[in-house]
Amino acid sequence: MEYNGGSVVAMIGKDCVAIASDLRLGQQSVGVAMNFEKVFPVNDKLYYGLPGLATDVYTLREQLRFRVNMYRMKEEREITPKTFTHLLSSTLYEKRFGPYFLEPVVAGLTTPTELEPKPKPFISTMDTIGCITTPKDFAVAGTAQDKLYGMAEGLWEPDLEPEDLFETISQTLLNAVDRDALSGWGAIVHVITHDKVITRQLRSRMD
Amino acid sequence: MECSFGLTGKDFVLLAADTSAGRSIIQMKDDENKIKALGPHIAMAYGGEAGDTNNFADFVDRNLRLYQIRNHTPLLPAAASAWIRRSLAESLRSRHPYSVNLMLAGFDITDSTSHLYWIDYLGTKAIVPYAAHGLGQYLALSTMDKWWTEGVDKREGIEILKKCVDEVGKRSTLKFKFNCILIDASGIHHINLDSSDPIAEMEQAGKAAEVINPNPPLDVGITA
Amino acid sequence: MNAVLQSLQPPARHTNEDEEDAWGYGNLDQRGGVRGMMVPRVPDPAAFLNLHTDSISSNPAAKIKLAHGTTTLAFRFKGGIIVAVDSRATAGSYIASGTVKKVIEINPYLLGTMAGGAADCQYWETYLGMQCRLHELRNKERISVAAASKILSNIVYQYKGMGLSMGTMICGWDKTGPALFYVDSDGSRLKGDLFSVGSGSTFAYGVLDQGYSYDLSDEEAQELGRRSIIAAGHRDAFSGNTCNLFHVRENGWEFIANYDVNELWYEYEAKKKAGASQAQAQKDEGMAVE
Repeated sequence: MEYNGGSVVAMIGKDCVAIASDLRLGQQSVGVAMNFEKVFPVNDKLYYGLPGLATDVYTLREQLRFRVNMYRMKEEREITPKTFTHLLSSTLYEKRFGPYFLEPVVAGLTTPTELEPKPKPFISTMDTIGCITTPKDFAVAGTAQDKLYGMAEGLWEPDLEPEDLFETISQTLLNAVDRDALSGWGAIVHVITHDKVITRQLRSRMD
Repeated sequence: MECSFGLTGKDFVLLAADTSAGRSIIQMKDDENKIKALGPHIAMAYGGEAGDTNNFADFVDRNLRLYQIRNHTPLLPAAASAWIRRSLAESLRSRHPYSVNLMLAGFDITDSTSHLYWIDYLGTKAIVPYAAHGLGQYLALSTMDKWWTEGVDKREGIEILKKCVDEVGKRSTLKFKFNCILIDASGIHHINLDSSDPIAEMEQAGKAAEVINPNPPLDVGITA
Repeated sequence: MNAVLQSLQPPARHTNEDEEDAWGYGNLDQRGGVRGMMVPRVPDPAAFLNLHTDSISSNPAAKIKLAHGTTTLAFRFKGGIIVAVDSRATAGSYIASGTVKKVIEINPYLLGTMAGGAADCQYWETYLGMQCRLHELRNKERISVAAASKILSNIVYQYKGMGLSMGTMICGWDKTGPALFYVDSDGSRLKGDLFSVGSGSTFAYGVLDQGYSYDLSDEEAQELGRRSIIAAGHRDAFSGNTCNLFHVRENGWEFIANYDVNELWYEYEAKKKAGASQAQAQKDEGMAVE
């Protein structure tokens, strides 16, 4: 976890969710790249973040891309955030005795169906071997985890509109990583709404 | 301690690696080539644990060759980087992991772009405009930060590389010699860093400076 | 062995308080140690310290994390000495402070830099200031930088192996002109023209070495010092936040300014981009003429 550094945060808003990460890839104290994204799309309503060991970020991401594509072909529909969380969890547990060093965060919106006409915005997070938690407010992970908790506890409030949620998650991330030596070097935020995803790069501290 | 550099420019990539080889405090060789050409426009500089390095480099070389034989086209840099990374990542969780750090440089002739990938023994991959492994990472990354700019030409690129080589020469207690190559649209070329104008020397040498393509295109294979 | 050593020790002095004060050299005792400095009563104080703190940096898992991580640099040139430092203090990966003063103003002619244990540097360099003042009073002249750095070096050497952690540069101007010494807790004391100390020192060297010349102008030298700290602040996770810049001249040191590492970094990047596109435009123009 501490080897490459990096952090991810996700938050729930009113009919929207946001997920953000820093862009640093380090080798302990040395910064190597400032373009290392840790948040990836599954589809246009579902994103997930993988802070932790960078080699596992690639490996698990490739694995998940394969499994989600297989799901899509078999089921002929998009995967829901809840199902994806369980897919991710069981993928992690497969490596119970030699885990991926990652703490994933999932954020997404569920498309309304007849069975579930008013689905709630969804976020979840899990530990390295796939124990799921589904918070009602925000989820944080990575080397700046404790600092993110502090910021998020102070800034988050319920039912934020997309633009306000963007501001809240951005300030949470930026101020948290400014107190973490192993995160930072740029940041990227995705706000997912029912009709679009707003993606913005933040101008953050580069030291 | 080993040291290698990679640097991209407008229409080329540079790779440099030190040429020392030895055991513990003894240097057994000062002209070991640790850069391997993997195709007509792709090469890697590698270092790490003795034995693993050459074995892994050969493994990569032969597999890229196999791909070329099967498909009648070499693997492009981006695809090669993904394959190499995955090989290392899989090896990491095996009973006998390779400990090899490498830098993959390539020129994509399909869209005329230069590529550089920084890959470590864990399978960590960074896509970067310039990078270093080993001692160079600590000493000369800042040198490149200061002097590298988007779209540097070949001469400027070599000047930056020379600064880096000079810096490790200055600050390291070890004496390094460096081996250098340049990859552009016309292939892989040797660069003599001691020359006052390495680019002119390279252009003058023409064919003689070319690194012999280990994987030439096959004439045989397709039968009607 | 200890018994033999003990028998060779001089008999304990039985003096009254006043006499003892008169005898003292500052508050050094007979062996040059500071009176009242407590050492853990264990067979191996260094091992004890290392078990509980990360003072020797070999035990990152230690529960007590001391402030660490630094980039400091100083170099001599024709216009005097430039001293530049960052201001970040980290405990583990936590950035404990971004406003640390890592240049210790020993007196108007002497500066000390701080790397390693923050408290160790602060305490002993302040103490060095006391000793330098006493030297002035005794000898009616300012202490040389060589002598000042040697006092510090002798003190830390007394405590060698007990967990002191400091890498410092003593910079000043004396009768011999600008002088720069590197002193560390191993007891090393080196005279030199250019030093950088701390976790980010290698990155600072990478810019400093390639831009250094003794004949730099004042502005160029200040810029080089500043640029080197920015480079280190950028690449090293444990350095950054702000840069404090000092210039030592014949009439003493001058504080130049405090710069935000991040703001300067973006400024340098913008300049690089502008320079690159200008160069590109020139190249294109050149081609058009051809």
